[in-house]
Amino acid sequence: MGNFMADVDPKAGLDRVDGKLKVTGAAKFSAEYTPDKLTYGIVVASTIAKGKIVALETKKAEGAPGVIKVISHLNAPEVPGYNTGKEPAKEPTGDQPLRVFYDNKIYFNGQPIALVIADTLERAVYAASLVKARYTKEPFNTNLEKNLAKAAAPKQDRATYLRGEAFAYKNAPVSVEAQYVLAREVHNPMELHSIIAIWEGEDKVTVYEKTQGVKSTQQSIMDTFKLEEKNVQVISKFVGGGFGSALRTWPHSIAAVIGAKVVKRPLKLMLSRDQMFTMVGYRPYTWQKIGIGATSDGKLTGITHEAVGETSSYEEFTEGVVNMSKFMYACPNVNTSYKILPVDLSTPTWMRGPGEATGSWALESAIDELAYKLNMDPLELRLRNYAETDPERNLPFSSKYLKECYEAGADKIGWKKRNPAVGSMNDGAWKVGYGVSSGTFGAYRDKATVTAKLSDQGILTIECAVSDSGPGTATSMTELASKTMGLAPGKIEFQLGDSKMPEGPTQGGSATTSSLGSAVYEACGALKLKLLTLASKEGSAFAGLPPEGVSFSNGEMSLLSDSNKKISITDILKQNNLPQLELTITSEPGKSSQGFSMYSFSVHFVEVRVHPLTGVVRIHRAVAVSDAGKIVSPKAAHSQAIGGVVGGIGMALTEEAIIDDRYGRYVNNNFADYHVPVNADVPNIEAIFINKPDPYTNPMGSKGLGEIALIGFAAAVGNAVYHATGKRIRELPITPDKILG
Amino acid sequence: MDHLIFPTNENELAYESRRDFLKQSTMLTALVLTPAAILKAGENDENIASALEKLPLTLEVNGITHKLAVEPRVTLLDLLREQLHLTGTKKGCDHGQCGACTVHVNGARINSCLTLAIMQNGQKITTIEGLARGEQLHPMQEAFIKHDGFQCGYCTPGQIMSAVACINEGHANNRDEVREFMSGNICRCGAYPNIVDAILEVKQGGKKI
Amino acid sequence: MIQFEYVKPSTQKAAVNAVAKNANAQFIAGGTNLVDLMKRGVTAPQKLVDINGLPLKEIKKTPGHLYIGALALNSVVAGNNLVLQHQPLLAQALASGASPQLRNMATVGGNIMQRTRCSYFYDTVLPCNKREPGTGCSAIEGYNRMHAIFGSSLSCIAVHPSDMCVALATLEAVVMVSGPGGDRRIPFADFHRLPGETPHIDNNLQKGELIVAIEIPDNNLAKNIHYLKVRDRASYAFALVSVAAALQINNGTIEKARLAMGGVAHKPWRLFEAEKMLVGKEATMEHFKAAATLAMTGAKAFEHNTFKLKMAPNSIMEALRVAAGLEV
Repeated sequence: MGNFMADVDPKAGLDRVDGKLKVTGAAKFSAEYTPDKLTYGIVVASTIAKGKIVALETKKAEGAPGVIKVISHLNAPEVPGYNTGKEPAKEPTGDQPLRVFYDNKIYFNGQPIALVIADTLERAVYAASLVKARYTKEPFNTNLEKNLAKAAAPKQDRATYLRGEAFAYKNAPVSVEAQYVLAREVHNPMELHSIIAIWEGEDKVTVYEKTQGVKSTQQSIMDTFKLEEKNVQVISKFVGGGFGSALRTWPHSIAAVIGAKVVKRPLKLMLSRDQMFTMVGYRPYTWQKIGIGATSDGKLTGITHEAVGETSSYEEFTEGVVNMSKFMYACPNVNTSYKILPVDLSTPTWMRGPGEATGSWALESAIDELAYKLNMDPLELRLRNYAETDPERNLPFSSKYLKECYEAGADKIGWKKRNPAVGSMNDGAWKVGYGVSSGTFGAYRDKATVTAKLSDQGILTIECAVSDSGPGTATSMTELASKTMGLAPGKIEFQLGDSKMPEGPTQGGSATTSSLGSAVYEACGALKLKLLTLASKEGSAFAGLPPEGVSFSNGEMSLLSDSNKKISITDILKQNNLPQLELTITSEPGKSSQGFSMYSFSVHFVEVRVHPLTGVVRIHRAVAVSDAGKIVSPKAAHSQAIGGVVGGIGMALTEEAIIDDRYGRYVNNNFADYHVPVNADVPNIEAIFINKPDPYTNPMGSKGLGEIALIGFAAAVGNAVYHATGKRIRELPITPDKILG
Repeated sequence: MDHLIFPTNENELAYESRRDFLKQSTMLTALVLTPAAILKAGENDENIASALEKLPLTLEVNGITHKLAVEPRVTLLDLLREQLHLTGTKKGCDHGQCGACTVHVNGARINSCLTLAIMQNGQKITTIEGLARGEQLHPMQEAFIKHDGFQCGYCTPGQIMSAVACINEGHANNRDEVREFMSGNICRCGAYPNIVDAILEVKQGGKKI
Repeated sequence: MIQFEYVKPSTQKAAVNAVAKNANAQFIAGGTNLVDLMKRGVTAPQKLVDINGLPLKEIKKTPGHLYIGALALNSVVAGNNLVLQHQPLLAQALASGASPQLRNMATVGGNIMQRTRCSYFYDTVLPCNKREPGTGCSAIEGYNRMHAIFGSSLSCIAVHPSDMCVALATLEAVVMVSGPGGDRRIPFADFHRLPGETPHIDNNLQKGELIVAIEIPDNNLAKNIHYLKVRDRASYAFALVSVAAALQINNGTIEKARLAMGGVAHKPWRLFEAEKMLVGKEATMEHFKAAATLAMTGAKAFEHNTFKLKMAPNSIMEALRVAAGLEV
């Protein structure tokens, strides 16, 4: 085992470069700037699910102390982008995003209908409570399961997939067919979505915004308000978690920008926790049906995966719920179908692991069910149907160490030492169970641009307009640049979170390290080449050398053939009278990556305790094994991996955003009733990395980690609960009532 | 505690209603308002009420004494963040359900979102900004960095304030105890195991914190 | 939140008068429930009377009783040596409630006064008889997973959320109050009310009455006790069902039994019949099961909380088992 972890000792990794700011409270999140004459905006939300506003009582609010303005569809200034077909926030959906204060239509309960602006927070909050709307109500639906038949294929995605014969599982010697339900989850980052908008004149605005995409937010505001790029600055230095909720520019942010323009003063808007349930997306409630067939010796003969997810009535949201079933196993016959049902809720958005996490819950549970039916070790069944190449695209994988993941995890959890018989293991009053599952997610890479400046003091500054919602982007880039440039981490400053910087990717889809890291790597390479060129004066030891002939460490360049022949970076610059070297590099995936299927893989093993009398389930141990290519930043990667497990514990055991369908209103839109796991829910988590580079994804050989850290975990828990108790729970979360049911 | 009680006598309270209060001109001396402000507020009855309902408040925050005037409805959290600009203390739920706003009052950890600032009159408040000694980080801050006890950093100030109190209360004797007594601080990034490691290390280090 | 007046009297009498004389005045102590409710607009007192200036924090052993002042903090009580020595069940229950931070704020008196966590009570947009009498109960035909299986009415099916109160019911505490009409002592079982047709009235306190202390009569219930709390996460969550079990066992025979449940009724739900049944019986799982079955007489579930019909008796059995020290 040890050899897998050899290079990935989290203790040996770089401490977070922004750690000191975060532990001292000095890190400034988007609501924490203090421009002069700041005003406070509070969003008033609709209290019906569908219909029209027929009257809006704002007089009381307008007359309340300190109130500067109440803005609604009745008096909002025209927003130039609303009528041009340009979408204020196009990702990840099709159709027309909600245009805040555009008209009197209500699409969901909790929709922003007014913005109350006052001179203090307390006054704004109080005045907002005075705004009352009268509506005409229309019939609505917020229940997916009762309306499955009305679901339809999405317009923007291929709805069905077929390889070989459809529904082949039905003719298999051994088969399972089951339905799986995933409750609606809400991202609920700890930081409430917040924005400060500051206009200078009519055509220039600066926003401090919680966003995972600095440039995409800038683009949204440019499109919405018809502004030039140079006149829209988005600053997002610290982002208090996102998990997908900050992937788009939501209506409340547009409302804040409108509000600041109207009152001609800086405006701060922070959502309340209950508004986080209705205004910034969620992981949609999803129904799935899986059929799997196999020969009696466990060779899969058919997989059928059908899914129906929620979208809103005004936008089409889709995600890759059924993707994994197409290529995870070597199976000749696979058919999938993915449909969506518009419900009268706000538009969902990708939440960590997105659709793949939803899909893996069903697929990896069904595989487990089949294994027990075959009387076969669930791990053995997976290995017996291991896909050596991608059966969906008929391409080789750029790298795939899933087998190694299974092996490493099984060894760590003691899989072979368990008693495989269902219900056979006990610990006092508790039943003990073991479960395994696997996960996968595309190893994506986007375009990224960085500017790198190397000063004659030996300080390397790299800039990119990305934001970091928590993974540790600045840290991993510093670590990468440090290794690549042979400079101490303390000599490197990675700056991010400002749209004035070179264009970077949106932080999503586990692609930041791959995209941005490639640019950083290439920028360092270009700097090294420049340094070599500068040092290659006639007579110099470095003259005429190819880049491979030198190495960089401790801020010095030395001959590979004779490490005593060296020159410091600062000397190279000084000798050339250069105060600094500066270059801008844009990096994007090259041709070398074509012809391969690129995926990260993960395996989750868990040991659970189930208290049969009360139905309580506790995770006793978790082992998370990742094939995420070469690990760039060990400490940050370790935290990502355990963080994914914690997210998975929530998905598996505790998280469910519940709507009262009579009203279309959430009944648990707070942290007391929507249960994000707390410290006591989380056991020791062992994170293992295979840490073998992928030759094709990017120069570092890395693959994404953030999603696979969560994908599959819930199924491992469900499978372990079955092993412990013989109860198969097919509806998440696995709460005590379901164990007793 | 008892030395900072607002003016009342045995049977009578300071005032019975907004209007009565306004009539009690002698009470105005208790308010930190300039005559000009009162005059201006007088143009509008509602404004008078709201302006006059600010009460004097003395707080020691991170060793600095603040003499303030606050509306009674202002929570300690909002006072810290919006008026004193001590934004290290975070708002994560505003209802005592996440722990991001944890501060110490006379050394004890509380949720600053669920207490009115005026109720803490005369108390000593310590926020995350008051933990380090100049450039020298508090051992718990060092340990959080070393063990990567956070990712996004938003719950971190609350976690650290809670962690320091957890040890001082005597509730950090083993992993399970730390887990239970740190369960009032939600971390959505899922850094819990690292947080427990950090706390146990500080506890075992035995330094007075 | 509306603007309100704030006063902090230095004497009990002034505090009581302040609330007694003003229909819209309320006491505030820890504030953990009241400030929350005010922020959500569920309640909007025009005057807050801060009682933290009153000397009501004392915890002491008196002849025949353990006395706990109303302003004693939940965390202080949970860790107090006298409590741990004489009434450890109370400490267990307190330690299972809320979070360390909230326990550092919440007082004994406030805990007794805390209001239901029913979602519809909290959502000011929807009907709720407890919040707005006469508007109807949204929970009866709504999402009622957390709701009552005992003692509910057609007006309200909310539950009392406290853990501490379940232990106090078991321990037959007395609530000592002081009001405009003088002092009185209210047995714990008589303090909270069932909803009936007046669910907006949680308890039998009169206007202006202030809880000054609780007294727990001496008992022999420090050894075979257990507070079991079943909840959706391992900590920091309200009970789906909780059980406070206290037994006095002599040579395997139960001499005294006290049982109460939380999360099942509008008030801490004492299981008198089950207690009676257990007295004189051997402490065995068979008898515990019989007691649990008896305790469920009259239980009535709603659409989303039928699981409590199983979870409740199971939890009674488990709490009794642990209290009696029986192996599985």
